[in-house]
Amino acid sequence: MNQLNVAQVLPVPGVGSPIERVAMLFDDHYDRLYRLARRLTANTDDALDLVQETFLKAARSPKSIPVGFASEEAWLVRVLINIRRDQWRKTMKRKRYEITASGESPLAATGTDLERSLIARATVWRALDVLSPRRRAIVVMHELDGITVSAIASLLGISQITVRWHLSMGKRDLTHALKAYTEARK
Amino acid sequence: MKDIRELLQDADPLRQEPLTWSERRDSQRNVVLATALAQRDRPRTERRARMRLFIALGFVTIIVLLFAEHLSSPLISNVHAAVRFEVRLAEENPAAGLHTAKVSGTDRSVYLHDEAIVTNGDIAGARIVQADSSSYNVAVEFTPSGADKMRAATARHIGKPMAVLLDGQVIMTAIVREPIADSAVITGHLSKDEAERIAGGITSAR
Repeated sequence: MNQLNVAQVLPVPGVGSPIERVAMLFDDHYDRLYRLARRLTANTDDALDLVQETFLKAARSPKSIPVGFASEEAWLVRVLINIRRDQWRKTMKRKRYEITASGESPLAATGTDLERSLIARATVWRALDVLSPRRRAIVVMHELDGITVSAIASLLGISQITVRWHLSMGKRDLTHALKAYTEARK
Repeated sequence: MKDIRELLQDADPLRQEPLTWSERRDSQRNVVLATALAQRDRPRTERRARMRLFIALGFVTIIVLLFAEHLSSPLISNVHAAVRFEVRLAEENPAAGLHTAKVSGTDRSVYLHDEAIVTNGDIAGARIVQADSSSYNVAVEFTPSGADKMRAATARHIGKPMAVLLDGQVIMTAIVREPIADSAVITGHLSKDEAERIAGGITSAR
Protein backbone atom coordinates (compact mmCIF):
# COMPACT_ATOMS: atom_id res chain seq x y z
CA MET A 1 0.00 0.00 0.00
CA ASN A 2 1.24 3.43 -0.79
CA GLN A 3 0.59 5.59 2.26
CA LEU A 4 2.21 8.62 0.69
CA ASN A 5 -0.46 9.13 -1.92
CA VAL A 6 -3.12 9.02 0.75
CA ALA A 7 -1.22 11.45 2.95
CA GLN A 8 -0.71 13.96 0.19
CA VAL A 9 -4.43 14.60 -0.25
CA LEU A 10 -5.09 15.11 3.44
CA PRO A 11 -5.50 18.72 4.62
CA VAL A 12 -2.45 20.29 6.23
CA PRO A 13 -2.99 20.46 9.98
CA GLY A 14 -2.54 23.74 11.78
CA VAL A 15 0.78 24.17 13.55
CA GLY A 16 0.59 25.17 17.20
CA SER A 17 3.51 25.70 19.56
CA PRO A 18 6.77 23.87 18.87
CA ILE A 19 6.00 21.47 21.72
CA GLU A 20 2.59 20.65 20.29
CA ARG A 21 4.17 20.25 16.89
CA VAL A 22 6.74 17.78 18.19
CA ALA A 23 4.06 15.88 20.12
CA MET A 24 1.94 15.68 17.00
CA LEU A 25 4.88 14.52 14.92
CA PHE A 26 5.66 11.84 17.45
CA ASP A 27 2.10 10.55 17.60
CA ASP A 28 1.56 10.68 13.84
CA HIS A 29 4.81 9.15 12.66
CA TYR A 30 6.17 7.00 15.46
CA ASP A 31 4.78 3.67 14.21
CA ARG A 32 5.83 4.30 10.65
CA LEU A 33 9.34 5.26 11.69
CA TYR A 34 9.65 2.35 14.07
CA ARG A 35 8.71 -0.11 11.32
CA LEU A 36 11.37 1.34 9.07
CA ALA A 37 13.94 1.53 11.88
CA ARG A 38 13.33 -2.07 12.87
CA ARG A 39 13.94 -3.19 9.32
CA LEU A 40 17.16 -1.20 9.17
CA THR A 41 18.61 -2.53 12.40
CA ALA A 42 19.53 -5.83 13.95
CA ASN A 43 17.32 -5.68 17.04
CA THR A 44 14.49 -3.80 18.70
CA ASP A 45 16.74 -1.82 21.04
CA ASP A 46 18.71 -0.39 18.15
CA ALA A 47 15.47 0.38 16.34
CA LEU A 48 14.00 2.19 19.36
CA ASP A 49 17.23 4.17 19.81
CA LEU A 50 17.20 5.11 16.16
CA VAL A 51 13.61 6.34 16.30
CA GLN A 52 14.27 8.30 19.48
CA GLU A 53 17.34 9.92 17.97
CA THR A 54 15.28 10.94 14.96
CA PHE A 55 12.61 12.57 17.09
CA LEU A 56 15.21 14.25 19.27
CA LYS A 57 16.61 15.86 16.17
CA ALA A 58 13.11 17.04 15.32
CA ALA A 59 12.66 18.34 18.88
CA ARG A 60 15.86 20.35 18.64
CA SER A 61 14.84 22.09 15.43
CA PRO A 62 11.06 21.89 14.99
CA LYS A 63 11.03 24.97 12.76
CA SER A 64 13.14 23.21 10.15
CA ILE A 65 10.51 20.53 9.60
CA PRO A 66 8.23 21.25 6.65
CA VAL A 67 4.49 21.38 7.31
CA GLY A 68 2.17 18.71 5.94
CA PHE A 69 1.94 15.03 6.69
CA ALA A 70 3.82 13.83 3.63
CA SER A 71 6.54 16.46 3.96
CA GLU A 72 6.97 15.73 7.65
CA GLU A 73 7.18 12.02 6.97
CA ALA A 74 9.74 12.54 4.24
CA TRP A 75 11.82 14.77 6.52
CA LEU A 76 11.73 12.28 9.36
CA VAL A 77 12.50 9.30 7.13
CA ARG A 78 15.49 11.08 5.62
CA VAL A 79 16.79 12.06 9.06
CA LEU A 80 16.35 8.51 10.29
CA ILE A 81 18.22 7.07 7.32
CA ASN A 82 21.00 9.63 7.73
CA ILE A 83 21.42 8.79 11.40
CA ARG A 84 21.46 5.10 10.56
CA ARG A 85 23.99 5.74 7.81
CA ASP A 86 26.32 7.44 10.30
CA GLN A 87 25.97 4.51 12.70
CA TRP A 88 26.47 2.03 9.88
CA ARG A 89 29.65 3.68 8.68
CA LYS A 90 31.12 3.56 12.17
CA THR A 91 30.35 -0.08 12.76
CA MET A 92 30.79 -1.53 9.28
CA LYS A 93 34.50 -2.07 9.50
CA ARG A 94 34.24 -3.69 12.88
CA LYS A 95 31.42 -5.97 11.76
CA ARG A 96 33.35 -7.12 8.72
CA TYR A 97 36.28 -7.94 10.91
CA GLU A 98 34.13 -9.85 13.39
CA ILE A 99 32.46 -11.92 10.67
CA THR A 100 35.79 -12.75 9.09
CA ALA A 101 37.52 -13.44 12.38
CA SER A 102 34.80 -15.69 13.78
CA GLY A 103 34.76 -17.86 10.65
CA GLU A 104 31.34 -19.06 11.68
CA SER A 105 28.29 -19.11 9.56
CA PRO A 106 24.80 -19.71 10.96
CA LEU A 107 24.26 -21.98 7.97
CA ALA A 108 26.77 -24.39 9.32
CA ALA A 109 24.68 -25.04 12.38
CA THR A 110 22.58 -28.11 12.62
CA GLY A 111 19.52 -28.80 14.73
CA THR A 112 15.74 -29.12 14.59
CA ASP A 113 13.59 -27.66 11.82
CA LEU A 114 12.57 -24.80 14.09
CA GLU A 115 16.17 -24.00 14.87
CA ARG A 116 17.13 -24.20 11.22
CA SER A 117 14.21 -21.96 10.34
CA LEU A 118 15.25 -19.36 12.92
CA ILE A 119 18.82 -19.52 11.75
CA ALA A 120 17.74 -19.13 8.16
CA ARG A 121 15.70 -16.04 8.99
CA ALA A 122 18.56 -14.56 10.98
CA THR A 123 20.88 -15.23 8.07
CA VAL A 124 18.62 -13.46 5.62
CA TRP A 125 18.21 -10.52 7.94
CA ARG A 126 21.92 -10.40 8.58
CA ALA A 127 22.55 -10.35 4.85
CA LEU A 128 20.76 -7.01 4.72
CA ASP A 129 23.66 -5.56 6.68
CA VAL A 130 25.75 -5.56 3.52
CA LEU A 131 23.48 -2.86 2.11
CA SER A 132 23.99 0.77 2.93
CA PRO A 133 21.12 2.17 5.03
CA ARG A 134 19.64 4.14 2.15
CA ARG A 135 19.71 1.13 -0.19
CA ARG A 136 18.41 -1.09 2.55
CA ALA A 137 15.59 1.36 3.27
CA ILE A 138 14.65 1.41 -0.40
CA VAL A 139 14.68 -2.38 -0.59
CA VAL A 140 12.58 -2.92 2.53
CA MET A 141 10.14 -0.15 1.68
CA HIS A 142 9.63 -1.60 -1.79
CA GLU A 143 9.73 -5.31 -0.98
CA LEU A 144 8.10 -5.35 2.45
CA ASP A 145 5.90 -2.26 2.58
CA GLY A 146 5.04 -2.44 -1.11
CA ILE A 147 5.73 1.26 -1.64
CA THR A 148 6.04 2.14 -5.31
CA VAL A 149 9.24 3.40 -6.88
CA SER A 150 7.76 6.86 -7.49
CA ALA A 151 6.57 7.17 -3.88
CA ILE A 152 10.00 6.15 -2.56
CA ALA A 153 11.64 8.67 -4.87
CA SER A 154 9.35 11.39 -3.55
CA LEU A 155 9.89 10.34 0.07
CA LEU A 156 13.68 10.36 -0.18
CA GLY A 157 13.94 13.31 -2.56
CA ILE A 158 15.75 11.35 -5.25
CA SER A 159 14.92 10.37 -8.83
CA GLN A 160 13.00 7.24 -9.75
CA ILE A 161 16.00 6.08 -11.77
CA THR A 162 18.13 6.24 -8.64
CA VAL A 163 15.53 4.28 -6.70
CA ARG A 164 15.43 1.59 -9.40
CA TRP A 165 19.21 1.45 -9.45
CA HIS A 166 19.33 1.00 -5.67
CA LEU A 167 16.68 -1.73 -5.91
CA SER A 168 18.60 -3.51 -8.61
CA MET A 169 21.94 -3.25 -6.85
CA GLY A 170 20.35 -4.14 -3.53
CA LYS A 171 18.85 -7.32 -4.91
CA ARG A 172 22.13 -8.22 -6.56
CA ASP A 173 24.06 -7.70 -3.33
CA LEU A 174 21.50 -9.63 -1.33
CA THR A 175 21.50 -12.48 -3.84
CA HIS A 176 25.24 -12.64 -3.59
CA ALA A 177 25.14 -12.62 0.21
CA LEU A 178 22.42 -15.24 0.30
CA LYS A 179 23.96 -17.49 -2.30
CA ALA A 180 25.27 -19.89 0.27
CA TYR A 181 21.92 -19.90 2.01
CA THR A 182 19.86 -20.61 -1.11
CA GLU A 183 22.25 -23.32 -2.22
CA ALA A 184 22.00 -24.94 1.18
CA ARG A 185 18.23 -25.02 0.92
CA LYS A 186 18.20 -26.69 -2.50
CA MET B 1 13.33 -21.59 -4.72
CA LYS B 2 12.12 -18.44 -3.00
CA ASP B 3 12.84 -15.06 -4.46
CA ILE B 4 14.31 -12.15 -2.54
CA ARG B 5 10.93 -10.71 -1.62
CA GLU B 6 9.71 -14.00 -0.13
CA LEU B 7 12.93 -14.49 1.77
CA LEU B 8 12.71 -11.00 3.21
CA GLN B 9 9.06 -11.44 4.12
CA ASP B 10 9.91 -14.68 5.91
CA ALA B 11 12.75 -13.03 7.77
CA ASP B 12 10.96 -9.76 8.53
CA PRO B 13 11.27 -9.34 12.32
CA LEU B 14 8.03 -7.38 12.44
CA ARG B 15 6.18 -10.58 11.63
CA GLN B 16 7.29 -12.10 14.89
CA GLU B 17 7.59 -9.09 17.16
CA PRO B 18 5.03 -6.64 18.51
CA LEU B 19 5.03 -3.38 16.64
CA THR B 20 6.20 -1.48 19.68
CA TRP B 21 5.92 -1.38 23.42
CA SER B 22 3.64 1.23 24.87
CA GLU B 23 5.78 1.78 27.99
CA ARG B 24 8.91 2.39 25.99
CA ARG B 25 7.04 4.49 23.53
CA ASP B 26 5.63 6.69 26.30
CA SER B 27 9.04 6.99 27.88
CA GLN B 28 10.55 8.04 24.55
CA ARG B 29 7.74 10.51 24.00
CA ASN B 30 8.51 12.14 27.36
CA VAL B 31 12.20 12.41 26.54
CA VAL B 32 11.48 13.97 23.15
CA LEU B 33 8.99 16.48 24.56
CA ALA B 34 11.36 17.39 27.39
CA THR B 35 14.03 18.09 24.79
CA ALA B 36 11.61 20.24 22.78
CA LEU B 37 10.68 22.13 25.95
CA ALA B 38 14.33 22.72 26.83
CA GLN B 39 14.92 23.86 23.28
CA ARG B 40 12.03 26.33 23.52
CA ASP B 41 13.38 27.77 26.77
CA ARG B 42 16.95 28.01 25.56
CA PRO B 43 16.42 30.95 23.20
CA ARG B 44 14.74 32.88 26.05
CA THR B 45 17.73 32.33 28.30
CA GLU B 46 20.07 33.31 25.48
CA ARG B 47 17.99 36.39 24.72
CA ARG B 48 18.12 37.45 28.37
CA ALA B 49 21.89 36.97 28.46
CA ARG B 50 22.26 38.97 25.24
CA MET B 51 20.08 41.74 26.64
CA ARG B 52 22.22 41.94 29.79
CA LEU B 53 25.35 42.10 27.65
CA PHE B 54 23.91 44.92 25.52
CA ILE B 55 22.91 46.89 28.62
CA ALA B 56 26.38 46.45 30.12
CA LEU B 57 28.01 47.50 26.85
CA GLY B 58 25.69 50.49 26.68
CA PHE B 59 26.78 51.63 30.14
CA VAL B 60 30.43 51.18 29.26
CA THR B 61 29.97 53.18 26.05
CA ILE B 62 28.23 56.02 27.87
CA ILE B 63 30.96 56.15 30.50
CA VAL B 64 33.69 56.12 27.84
CA LEU B 65 32.00 58.95 25.93
CA LEU B 66 31.49 61.00 29.08
CA PHE B 67 35.13 60.72 30.09
CA ALA B 68 36.63 60.48 26.64
CA GLU B 69 38.36 63.83 26.83
CA HIS B 70 40.15 62.78 29.99
CA LEU B 71 41.39 59.53 28.52
CA SER B 72 44.49 59.19 26.41
CA SER B 73 44.08 55.81 24.77
CA PRO B 74 45.10 55.59 21.09
CA LEU B 75 41.51 54.78 20.18
CA ILE B 76 40.15 57.94 21.76
CA SER B 77 42.90 60.07 20.30
CA ASN B 78 42.15 58.71 16.81
CA VAL B 79 38.50 59.51 17.17
CA HIS B 80 39.27 63.10 18.09
CA ALA B 81 42.15 63.60 15.68
CA ALA B 82 40.43 66.50 13.94
CA VAL B 83 42.59 68.47 11.54
CA ARG B 84 42.10 72.21 11.45
CA PHE B 85 41.96 73.17 7.80
CA GLU B 86 42.42 76.69 6.47
CA VAL B 87 43.15 78.31 3.15
CA ARG B 88 44.73 81.76 3.35
CA LEU B 89 45.92 84.22 0.80
CA ALA B 90 49.70 84.77 0.99
CA GLU B 91 52.41 87.06 -0.33
CA GLU B 92 55.98 86.35 -1.38
CA ASN B 93 57.29 89.50 0.25
CA PRO B 94 56.77 90.79 3.76
CA ALA B 95 54.41 93.64 4.33
CA ALA B 96 52.52 95.25 7.13
CA GLY B 97 49.75 93.14 8.60
CA LEU B 98 51.15 89.85 7.24
CA HIS B 99 52.39 86.97 9.37
CA THR B 100 55.53 85.10 8.47
CA ALA B 101 55.11 81.35 8.24
CA LYS B 102 57.44 78.56 7.23
CA VAL B 103 56.32 76.13 4.58
CA SER B 104 56.43 72.69 6.15
CA GLY B 105 59.30 70.50 4.94
CA THR B 106 61.10 73.38 3.19
CA ASP B 107 63.28 76.36 4.11
CA ARG B 108 60.90 78.69 2.39
CA SER B 109 58.71 81.25 4.14
CA VAL B 110 55.51 82.89 3.03
CA TYR B 111 53.64 85.86 4.40
CA LEU B 112 50.09 85.05 5.33
CA HIS B 113 47.04 87.27 5.39
CA ASP B 114 45.25 87.50 8.71
CA GLU B 115 41.96 85.98 7.74
CA ALA B 116 41.32 82.51 6.44
CA ILE B 117 39.30 82.33 3.23
CA VAL B 118 37.77 78.96 4.06
CA THR B 119 37.97 76.65 7.10
CA ASN B 120 36.63 73.23 8.01
CA GLY B 121 33.07 74.54 8.07
CA ASP B 122 33.33 75.32 4.37
CA ILE B 123 34.29 71.76 3.41
CA ALA B 124 31.62 69.49 1.96
CA GLY B 125 33.90 66.46 1.71
CA ALA B 126 37.47 65.26 1.43
CA ARG B 127 38.89 62.12 -0.11
CA ILE B 128 42.28 60.74 -0.90
CA VAL B 129 43.50 60.48 -4.46
CA GLN B 130 46.49 58.40 -5.49
CA ALA B 131 49.11 60.63 -7.09
CA ASP B 132 51.63 57.98 -8.03
CA SER B 133 52.69 54.59 -6.78
CA SER B 134 53.79 55.88 -3.39
CA SER B 135 52.17 59.23 -2.76
CA TYR B 136 48.65 60.47 -2.30
CA ASN B 137 46.81 63.77 -2.53
CA VAL B 138 43.72 64.92 -0.70
CA ALA B 139 40.88 66.29 -2.82
CA VAL B 140 38.76 68.81 -0.95
CA GLU B 141 35.29 69.83 -2.06
CA PHE B 142 33.84 73.06 -0.79
CA THR B 143 30.31 73.81 0.25
CA PRO B 144 28.45 76.33 -1.98
CA SER B 145 29.23 79.15 0.46
CA GLY B 146 32.84 77.98 0.74
CA ALA B 147 33.12 77.87 -3.04
CA ASP B 148 31.77 81.46 -3.27
CA LYS B 149 34.33 82.65 -0.74
CA MET B 150 37.15 80.88 -2.59
CA ARG B 151 36.06 82.25 -5.93
CA ALA B 152 35.83 85.82 -4.66
CA ALA B 153 39.15 85.71 -2.83
CA THR B 154 41.21 83.98 -5.51
CA ALA B 155 39.77 86.05 -8.36
CA ARG B 156 41.48 89.14 -6.98
CA HIS B 157 44.67 87.25 -6.13
CA ILE B 158 45.72 85.93 -9.56
CA GLY B 159 49.48 85.45 -9.90
CA LYS B 160 50.02 85.47 -6.15
CA PRO B 161 50.45 82.58 -3.71
CA MET B 162 47.78 80.92 -1.66
CA ALA B 163 48.57 78.75 1.38
CA VAL B 164 46.88 75.64 2.70
CA LEU B 165 47.28 75.19 6.45
CA LEU B 166 46.65 72.09 8.47
CA ASP B 167 46.63 72.59 12.23
CA GLY B 168 48.22 76.00 11.76
CA GLN B 169 51.12 74.70 9.69
CA VAL B 170 51.53 75.75 6.08
CA ILE B 171 51.74 72.45 4.29
CA MET B 172 51.64 73.80 0.75
CA THR B 173 51.53 76.95 -1.25
CA ALA B 174 50.43 77.45 -4.81
CA ILE B 175 50.32 80.35 -7.21
CA VAL B 176 46.75 81.20 -8.13
CA ARG B 177 46.49 80.92 -11.93
CA GLU B 178 42.74 81.29 -12.12
CA PRO B 179 39.88 81.62 -9.68
CA ILE B 180 39.36 78.50 -7.57
CA ALA B 181 35.79 77.61 -6.66
CA ASP B 182 34.36 74.16 -6.05
CA SER B 183 37.36 72.09 -5.08
CA ALA B 184 41.07 72.00 -4.42
CA VAL B 185 43.71 69.31 -4.17
CA ILE B 186 46.23 69.20 -1.37
CA THR B 187 49.49 67.80 -2.68
CA GLY B 188 52.75 67.20 -0.90
CA HIS B 189 53.99 63.63 -1.37
CA LEU B 190 51.71 62.38 1.36
CA SER B 191 51.76 58.74 2.39
CA LYS B 192 48.44 56.91 2.31
CA ASP B 193 48.16 57.03 6.11
CA GLU B 194 48.87 60.76 6.18
CA ALA B 195 46.40 61.44 3.39
CA GLU B 196 43.73 59.39 5.15
CA ARG B 197 44.41 61.16 8.43
CA ILE B 198 44.13 64.57 6.78
CA ALA B 199 40.99 63.72 4.79
CA GLY B 200 39.35 62.18 7.84
CA GLY B 201 40.52 64.98 10.10
CA ILE B 202 39.28 67.75 7.82
CA THR B 203 35.78 66.33 7.62
CA SER B 204 35.55 65.23 11.27
CA ALA B 205 36.32 68.78 12.46
CA ARG B 206 33.44 70.35 10.52
